[in-house]
Amino acid sequence: MKKLLAVTACPTGIAHTYMAAESIEKAAKDRDVPIKVETRGAVGVENELTPQEIAEAHAIIIAADTDVDEARFAGKPVVKVAVSQGIRIPGELIEQALAKTPSAGSPAASSEAPVKENAARRGVYKHLMNGVSNMLPLVVAGGLIIAISFLFGLHPAEGSIGAKLASIGSAAISMMVPILAAYISYSIAGGKLGLAPGLVGGLLATQVGGGFLGGIIAGFLAGYVTKWMIKYIKLPKVMEGLKPVLIIPLLSVLIVGLLMVFVIGTPLSWLMNGLTSWLEGMGQANAVILGGVLGAMMAIDMGGPFNKTAYTFATGLLASHIYGPMAAVMAAGMTPPLGIWLATVIAKKKFTKEEREAGKVASVLGLSFITEGAIPFGAADPLRMIPAFMIGSGVTGALSMLFKATLMAPHGGIFVLLIPNAIGNLLMYVLAIAIGTVLTAILVTWFKRNKPIEE
Amino acid sequence: MNIHDLLTEQTIFLPLETSASKEDIIRQMAAGFKEAGVVEDTEKYVQAVLAREQSSSTGIGFGVAIPHGKSAGVVKAGLAFAKLAEPAEWQSLDEQPVSIVFMIAVPEANVGNEHLQILVALSRKLIHEDFRNKLLHASSAEEVIDTIKNM
Repeated sequence: MKKLLAVTACPTGIAHTYMAAESIEKAAKDRDVPIKVETRGAVGVENELTPQEIAEAHAIIIAADTDVDEARFAGKPVVKVAVSQGIRIPGELIEQALAKTPSAGSPAASSEAPVKENAARRGVYKHLMNGVSNMLPLVVAGGLIIAISFLFGLHPAEGSIGAKLASIGSAAISMMVPILAAYISYSIAGGKLGLAPGLVGGLLATQVGGGFLGGIIAGFLAGYVTKWMIKYIKLPKVMEGLKPVLIIPLLSVLIVGLLMVFVIGTPLSWLMNGLTSWLEGMGQANAVILGGVLGAMMAIDMGGPFNKTAYTFATGLLASHIYGPMAAVMAAGMTPPLGIWLATVIAKKKFTKEEREAGKVASVLGLSFITEGAIPFGAADPLRMIPAFMIGSGVTGALSMLFKATLMAPHGGIFVLLIPNAIGNLLMYVLAIAIGTVLTAILVTWFKRNKPIEE
Repeated sequence: MNIHDLLTEQTIFLPLETSASKEDIIRQMAAGFKEAGVVEDTEKYVQAVLAREQSSSTGIGFGVAIPHGKSAGVVKAGLAFAKLAEPAEWQSLDEQPVSIVFMIAVPEANVGNEHLQILVALSRKLIHEDFRNKLLHASSAEEVIDTIKNM
C-alpha cells in the first residue's frame, strides 16, 4: 500500500491551511489511500511528520504559500502547489503523488532500516548532521589545501608559497570544530541565538584539546543552554527586547565558556598527562602492543586528547632517534579516511550521494595523513564509526611495529614515500596501511546503519 | 469555550441584502462586529481584510468565502456569518459566485488558542457538503449557532 504525506500552510494560518488539510484527507479517504497531513498554521505545527514516516512515504504533497521546511523531504518525490490548490483539486494532487516514482534505493533502505528508534535519538542525529554538513566544506577545503602544500615539500621555507598554502589549509581546519559545535547548537536552539555559544564552546574545545568529540559536547551544551534560556528567562515587557540582543548572548556564552574551561578542560589535561606517562611506561613493553595502542588512540578522537597524546608521544621519540612509533602513528592516522573512502566505494548503497562525494575527498586526505578527513563520518555516527576506525587503526599500528617499519618525518603521508630513506621497510609499511584500510572499510560497512532519508 | 463568545446575533446576517459588491458585504459585516464589540476601529479592520483579499481571494469554492483580517482595530476574536440574498462575485477558486460568507476577526496581539481552535475546526468543516447545506438552509440565527456548535 502506498502511503502519502502532505503538508499545508498559509500566511495567516487560520483558514486555508486547515481547509486544504481537510480536503486532502477527505479525497484520500475517498480513494482508500492512507495519508497523514501536517498543518502549519496559527496554532503551530500539528500532526508533525516524523523522519520515519517521511522515509516510508511514497510521495509528499506540499500545499503551501509559506515555507514548510522542505529540506527534510530531500530526495523524496514531491508534488508542490499553492495552498488553494489543496482545497480545490485534492483528488488530482493525490493521483499525481501516487503516480510519482520513488527514487531508486530509498524504499528498500527504509524497510531494511531498524524501524524502532525513539524521537530523542532521531533528534540527536539531526543535530549532529546539521553540524557535520556545515563543517564539511572546511574539512574538504582545508585538507586538500594542506595536501597541495606538501607538493612544495614537507618543510617549506617560511614565506614560500608552500608555507602560505599550509597556513591557509590550517586556518580552514582550525575552524572545523567551532563550526561543528555552532551548527549543532543552532539546530538545538532552533535559531541563530545558538551560534555564538556554539562557536565559542567549539573553539574552547579545540583549545583545551577536546578535539571533535569535545566540539560535539560543546555544541549540545550550547544548544540546550540557549534553548533553556529562550524558554525560561522571563523579563518585564519593557525589557523583553533586550533578551535576544543582550541577555541570552551574554549568559549563554559565559555559561558554556565556563563549563568548557573548567568542567571539560581540566579533566582533559589530567587525562592527557595520565596517558603520556602510561605510554612512557609501555615503551619498554611489547612493541606490537604499543603500536596497537598508539594506533587506536589516533583513531578514537581524531584530534582529541587521545590522538594528540599519541602523536606527541611519537614525535617526542624522534628526538631520541626512535622511529618505529612514528611510523605506527602515521599509518594509523591514514587508515580512517582511507577506510571510509574504500567503504563508500564497495558499499555504495549504504551511503548518501553527499557522503560518497565526501568519501572521494577522504581518500586524498587519508593519503596525506590528514586524519580529519574521517571526522564528518565519525561525528555523524560516533558510536558506530569510531569503533571501526579504532580497530582498523589499532591493527595498522601493531602491524607497522611488527614489520619494524620506521619513519623519520612527523607528517606528510604518501608524500614522505617520495623522500629517499625517510621510511624504513617501505614495502611492508605500505602493506600495513593497505591491510588497515581494508579492515576499516569492512568494519565501517558492517557497523553502519542503512542510510537515512536522503535520496 | 463557548461559541457565543465568537458568534453573536449581531454578527449573523440572514439574509444579507447586498448590492453584490465584495467590499460592500465586508463593510456590512464589519459593522456587525462593531456593534458586537469585536471591532473598535472598523476602518482599520476593513482595510486589513481587503488587503488580504488583494493578495488572493478567500473564495474557497463551493459558494463559500472566508474573508479574514488580523488587525489592531480588533478587540477580541470574532466570527460573522452571512447568507447572501443574491450570490456575489468573489473571484473564487472555482469561479462560482458566493452565497455563504464567514468573516473572521483576529486581534493583532496574541489571541487565545481556544478561539483559533474553533476557527480551525470551522475551516475544516466547511470542506464537507452536508455542513454547508445545513448552513445554507438555516432559517434563524439560533440554527446557525447550533449547527456550528455541533460541528
